[in-house]
Amino acid sequence: MYNNTIMTHFTDPTFVGNIDSPEVEIIVGNSVCGDRIEVQLIVQGTVISDVSFRAWGCATSVATGDIFCNSVKGEKFEEIALRDRDYFSKMLGELEPSQRHCIDIMEELHTKLCRETRKLL
Amino acid sequence: MILTAQKNIQTIKDLGLSPIKVSLSSTKELYALSGSSLEAHKFCLIKEAFTKHYDANKYYRGVCEEANVAPESIQSFKDLCKIPLIPVSEFKGNDSYKLLSVGLDKIELEVRSTGTSGIPSVSRRCSDTVDNVALGITSMYREFFGISKGACLFLCPPPEEIPEMGLIRLTNLLSGMLDTHQFMVNKGTFSAEESLEKLNQWEGKFDRHIMAPPFLIMRFIAFLKESDTSIKLDKNSYIITVGGWKRYTGEMMSRTDFDNACMKYLGVERHQIRDTYGLTESNIFSIDDEHGEKHVAPIGHFSVRNPKQLSEEVPDGEPGRLAILDPAAESTPGFVLTEDIVRILPGESKSGRSGQRIEYIERWADSTEFGCCAVNIDRHLCEAEAQNSAS
Repeated sequence: MYNNTIMTHFTDPTFVGNIDSPEVEIIVGNSVCGDRIEVQLIVQGTVISDVSFRAWGCATSVATGDIFCNSVKGEKFEEIALRDRDYFSKMLGELEPSQRHCIDIMEELHTKLCRETRKLL
Repeated sequence: MILTAQKNIQTIKDLGLSPIKVSLSSTKELYALSGSSLEAHKFCLIKEAFTKHYDANKYYRGVCEEANVAPESIQSFKDLCKIPLIPVSEFKGNDSYKLLSVGLDKIELEVRSTGTSGIPSVSRRCSDTVDNVALGITSMYREFFGISKGACLFLCPPPEEIPEMGLIRLTNLLSGMLDTHQFMVNKGTFSAEESLEKLNQWEGKFDRHIMAPPFLIMRFIAFLKESDTSIKLDKNSYIITVGGWKRYTGEMMSRTDFDNACMKYLGVERHQIRDTYGLTESNIFSIDDEHGEKHVAPIGHFSVRNPKQLSEEVPDGEPGRLAILDPAAESTPGFVLTEDIVRILPGESKSGRSGQRIEYIERWADSTEFGCCAVNIDRHLCEAEAQNSAS
């Protein structure tokens, strides 16, 4: 049911937790199924210098939070903004139809990250 | 008695069969056992499940070691209450992977339930657990409803809209036994008019059943009342309630008022109204019999605990916090501490079935949330209606 990327990030996440004084907080969720990811970030200049997340929901959506954090830490926000849906899909690996809503979650995380960090610039 | 049960289970294993799957397929036969024989059989299944999770699950083994409980500690039926419990809240955690007794690659299905907090409780089932839950629930439906034909109106969204919701999975298992069915909550709206139309179309062609959360049946009845209409369902019809009696507002619905309204507006007798109790985190399902007594699935054990001292069971008849011991759970330990207050009905059952019968009383007062998928459906319908009225 789960590809290796999802298994690794779900069972051994690196970025779970809270940042004491986050500069940016983004929340992505679906009120019907209950998937919810909360991400906290610190931005230095245009670089995401620290990031953490908390997630609730299916294994794939929890893993999505960790994969997202892993992919943005240390990256420049203007480069993150260039990513597209094809890129998000590749980040998560091969998914079953019941897991593909996590591509939407990944896309929404990126959209909100760009929107919120722009406000800091 | 336990020795005999152990020998019986060994015989099943010697034939190359699974004692759990054989037991789940033998609901009627288990209910026909004497109380002590059934207890001995359950004891063996639960002890074996406990040993399996103790050996396979590092996190759970740590919990057991902390509580100083090992498989050797469980020698008699009374000892079952020593089995360490997992609070249902742990199924909501970011780190709920720790609950798995099998590798994540063995998980076939994720089922969830979302209460008032909106945070889903996710239960992960491996292939054997999916087999077990399908066998167990289907066998309970057969035992209490005997349904193999007819039509059912499901007053809830179709699985296509919320495929991972536990409540909806229950409708799937029932619909497979029927000639036809229809889901009446679509894209966040419930149409009472269409529900009535459907029941009228089926009249004289099928035994007509309704399965739904109680609040949605009351919505349908409110429509019948307003339009000064009543219907007469069939003598073999069932009104099957799922999802609990609390509205998303916190209001507790009265079962007596509900039954009276069903009898008046849907033309059924009291014995045709059947409530069910189940949790996403467990595979043990309970259903009302023809006398309104809710029977626990015979392979599971409901251990009712003193809310102030959870290691103690309260006597039958006394209310307490429900712990479920579920030997059908293979992917995660099925020893779950719920947030529900129930009591075990004392004495013999009116229907002659062996085993436990429960009365649901209320949500545990310190619970941080209440409800399941049904509460969420209720909230979404009300919010959608409020938005429509405003616009």
